[in-house]
Amino acid sequence: MSAWEHTAASRAKAHGLFGPSFSPGIVARIALLAVIVVFFQTGVVSELSVLGVTVDLSPLLVAFVGLLCGSMLGAITGFAVGLLVDLALVQTLGVTSLIFTLIGYWSGRLRELRDPQAALTPLLVGAAATGASMVGYSLVEFLLGVEAPVSLELLRQIVLGVIAGAVAALPTWAVVRRSLEGGLPEDPRRRRRRAYTTGGLSPLTRA
Amino acid sequence: MYDKTVRRRRAVLLLLVVLSLILLTAYFGEAAGGQLHSVQRAFLTVLSPIQDGANKALKPVRDAFGWIGDTVDAKSERKQLVRQVDKLRREVIAEQTERSAYRELLALYRLDNRLSVSDYHPVTATVVAKSPNIWYSTVTIDKGEAAGVHINDPVINGEGLVGKVTQVASDGAQVSLITDSTMGVSARLGSTPATGIVQPKVGAPNDLLLQYLPANTQANRGDYVVTSGTVSSPDDSLYPPGIPIGQVTSVNEESAYRSVNVHPLADLHNLDVVQVLTSVRGSTPGKVSGLAANLPAGQTAAPGTAGTGALASATTGK
Repeated sequence: MSAWEHTAASRAKAHGLFGPSFSPGIVARIALLAVIVVFFQTGVVSELSVLGVTVDLSPLLVAFVGLLCGSMLGAITGFAVGLLVDLALVQTLGVTSLIFTLIGYWSGRLRELRDPQAALTPLLVGAAATGASMVGYSLVEFLLGVEAPVSLELLRQIVLGVIAGAVAALPTWAVVRRSLEGGLPEDPRRRRRRAYTTGGLSPLTRA
Repeated sequence: MYDKTVRRRRAVLLLLVVLSLILLTAYFGEAAGGQLHSVQRAFLTVLSPIQDGANKALKPVRDAFGWIGDTVDAKSERKQLVRQVDKLRREVIAEQTERSAYRELLALYRLDNRLSVSDYHPVTATVVAKSPNIWYSTVTIDKGEAAGVHINDPVINGEGLVGKVTQVASDGAQVSLITDSTMGVSARLGSTPATGIVQPKVGAPNDLLLQYLPANTQANRGDYVVTSGTVSSPDDSLYPPGIPIGQVTSVNEESAYRSVNVHPLADLHNLDVVQVLTSVRGSTPGKVSGLAANLPAGQTAAPGTAGTGALASATTGK
């Protein structure tokens, strides 16, 4: 075993089975956050309607956990939150889990592949997650044979829902990020800051 | 190592998706009493008190958000309600106007039946202009010569005598009210044969004075004063007999004659619909009016209450 392989193996062992961000502390935080968000969603947010649509915080939570913690934890969080939502709202089990699993995985992959740092990234991810969940729900419901006409009203609801999700994305991102802060060994901002201030070389120095 | 991580990640994703699909299929396929449904009900049983507690705890937050939403909604709702109130107000006003007009027309109809004023070819007219102050004594109506209205035609409404036509145009006429200082109406007191002249009371534009009653006339407060059906001068209008003018409010003791204060029955400040009694040439009232107009000055056309009938007989030589 080479030195590099030894280092990587020891790091993997130290970080657990599913990668560096899957520690018991962060899992506990995510679980607590998920319960709070689902209760807040069902108890408060669902009863507040603006222009006929209500904001859905659950896909935002899943997407932001994926964006902060990676695809693996994003997918698992999506499945768990989806199951919790289906159980709490007495919906068809598995529908929300399926959709949220894909949303969590996708946002995690976005982080792993692109690591976007733009200020508007949470807003766009939130809008995309909301849109994906709404379209996904519609598709699954159609596949399950629920008789609902594909109408302009449905499209209008989706568009307004995406806008509402985008509006709620930034505050939700702030809450999720603040809640998970400290338990994220691969915090992008901290990583970037460390690159210039704590030992890392700036691109200019390297040049 | 990298491949292992990728494989693990993909395996987890696949596992979760498959698990979701299995849950979905099983849940969708089983009956309402199935295992998954039971699990869901059990979860709900456990969760309900927590949800209830959370619901109550979060109520202030919900109310705060709701208050903002309600305020936004209330603004648009207020605009809508204001428009609705305006519309309803217009409808109520229109209905009240129609109801008022209906009542006046009904009263006129009853008066027509009681006094047979249809013989006088009544022309129903609407008051279109009034003097803006309380001292006014003329009104303008929307019927004139084109409708057969002539000068000196009596004007009544459902309550009683209103006045007479003093100016006439093709599509309008001016009516002098009985409270006008130039007016004088031959009138009779209640059921007595005693007649006198009703004129406006000096200094009290809303009251009338029935003058020149015989000294022995028995007059009581509340007695009705009606037109006598006679004229006191050639320029006077021949009012049909029996049209109510007013009610006695007090009796004045004088030496040679007796006079009584009369309050007009017609609400002269709120006139809306009136009738002009047009005597068509050739009709009995028309002939009587013509005769009255040709009498020498100071001569009374006919005494008593026989009124139109007696005059008509005299005119035709019967």
